[in-house]
Amino acid sequence: MKQLTAFIKKDFLEQLRTGKMMILGILFCLFGILNPATAKMMPWLLEIMSEQLAESGMNITEMKVDALTSWTQFFKNMPLLLIVFIVMFSAILITEYQKGTLINVITKGLKRWKIVISKMLIMTAFWTLGYLITFGITYGYNVYLWDNSIAQNLLFTVLGYYLVGLWLISVVLLASTASKSASAVTLTAGAAYVLSHLLSFFPSFKEYVPTFLMSSSELLAGTIRSEQCLAAVGITTFMIISNIVLSVAIFNKRAI
Amino acid sequence: MDILEVSHITKAFGAKKVLNDLNFSVPEHSVFGFIGQNGAGKTTTMKMVLGLLESDKGEIFVNGEKVTFGQNNTNKYIGYLPDVPEFYGFMTPREYLSMCGQITGMHKEEIKEKSAELLKLVGLKAENKRIKGFSRGMKQRLGIAQALLNSPKLLICDEPTSALDPMGRKEILDILSSVKEHTTVIFSTHILSDVERICDRIAVLHKGKIALSGTLEEIKGIRNGDSIEIEFLTEQDTDTFWSIYSSGEKTGRTKLFFPKRTEHEMMEMMGCLSQNQIPVLRLERLEPTLEDLFLEVVGR
Repeated sequence: MKQLTAFIKKDFLEQLRTGKMMILGILFCLFGILNPATAKMMPWLLEIMSEQLAESGMNITEMKVDALTSWTQFFKNMPLLLIVFIVMFSAILITEYQKGTLINVITKGLKRWKIVISKMLIMTAFWTLGYLITFGITYGYNVYLWDNSIAQNLLFTVLGYYLVGLWLISVVLLASTASKSASAVTLTAGAAYVLSHLLSFFPSFKEYVPTFLMSSSELLAGTIRSEQCLAAVGITTFMIISNIVLSVAIFNKRAI
Repeated sequence: MDILEVSHITKAFGAKKVLNDLNFSVPEHSVFGFIGQNGAGKTTTMKMVLGLLESDKGEIFVNGEKVTFGQNNTNKYIGYLPDVPEFYGFMTPREYLSMCGQITGMHKEEIKEKSAELLKLVGLKAENKRIKGFSRGMKQRLGIAQALLNSPKLLICDEPTSALDPMGRKEILDILSSVKEHTTVIFSTHILSDVERICDRIAVLHKGKIALSGTLEEIKGIRNGDSIEIEFLTEQDTDTFWSIYSSGEKTGRTKLFFPKRTEHEMMEMMGCLSQNQIPVLRLERLEPTLEDLFLEVVGR
């Protein structure tokens, strides 16, 4: 336990002192504010553009903005944030091999699984915290400006997105133990996401892939019930756990 | 007892066979010089001892326990200084040592005491800035402090001096010889003067095998004769002697050089000198340097 906490402490210090933590904090805050702000400014923006649009034959009638508009922005922006997050953490383990910093700690007797678990914990902690910040800010503004009760399955949808994030983080971890470059890690995470999307085109797979949990608009509107997602939740959770187990197994046998 | 035993190790990278049935052992409380050309397989051997690389064949024992690839338990006996030690640049030396101490399971007080002692030993006591700004020599010294932190039975250093200036080299060598009372030191190098300075046993790695090994005295003892140099008073004497022993080489006006002569041959020469009443200024038996031996072994 002492070994693990010592290494986690080091990993945390790294995020803090290299400034990554601050960048992430700013980004998550910014997106949190951006979601309701975009929703709030939408009618105003459209009004400015209405003349132009009218010329091209589009007529803008009165536009209704509510909490749902803001949540739609939230779920539309989240993938972008997730991509930034994954790119930022794609080198979390890779730089340690490349620089050779692991040699000292491993020859000091640090159990290899603790390295893998520490990386997973750090990424999970930052994802959780960042996600909470963005969610909290958007939620707060929505309460202040409109009414959140209009969105159905809100908590479930939010948690579903969070779980997809965790799944991609576990893919990053797995790819980090098996590959040699950060770009390969990012590509693998991207490939996993695309694959899940492609599989969802087959009706028989649709409800069983992680990306099904990203069907936010259907969930918020209530056209998909949360119970329908349980299989996807189960499968995603299972994949996260097996990715972690596999990462440990691969890392144990990796030449360093 | 042997602290390290390497037996029948073979390792190939692709088609290139780096180590071929490598065997050697290191007794406790010695300073063991592991010599070889660049790319001879020194680092590969060390990484296998640490369980960082998998061997194709053979076994390694540290302190009587078998080394396993991957999660290796014998590392608790070892302190390792890589050829280019890398640290977390965002930490200070003290923070780094404290982390290492926690990893090896030392107590808080023990870590504090030992880090202070080691930082003093390696001359980094006053350094409170982050490792990021350290020079190569400072990193090497911190590397030694890190390797000695858990008072290891075996200290393995991979070319600790090869990139340092003369001053830095001397400091590192002094530190290494100062720890030999408690620790067995294995140190790889291609700088032979360093070996002669602090090692008491050596092994020369060549073409994946140990080409030569033993104590420094033994190694210098196995030679097929020393060279002899004789300096005469006059050129006339020189030529007289040269006409008797024409196999020599005239290296100066009054100097003759005879490569590889046995002790017996040397006696004969001295007899001949006294028989012919040739006085000499100097008769010297030249010991082969480690460099000569090394070059002989690697066949150049």
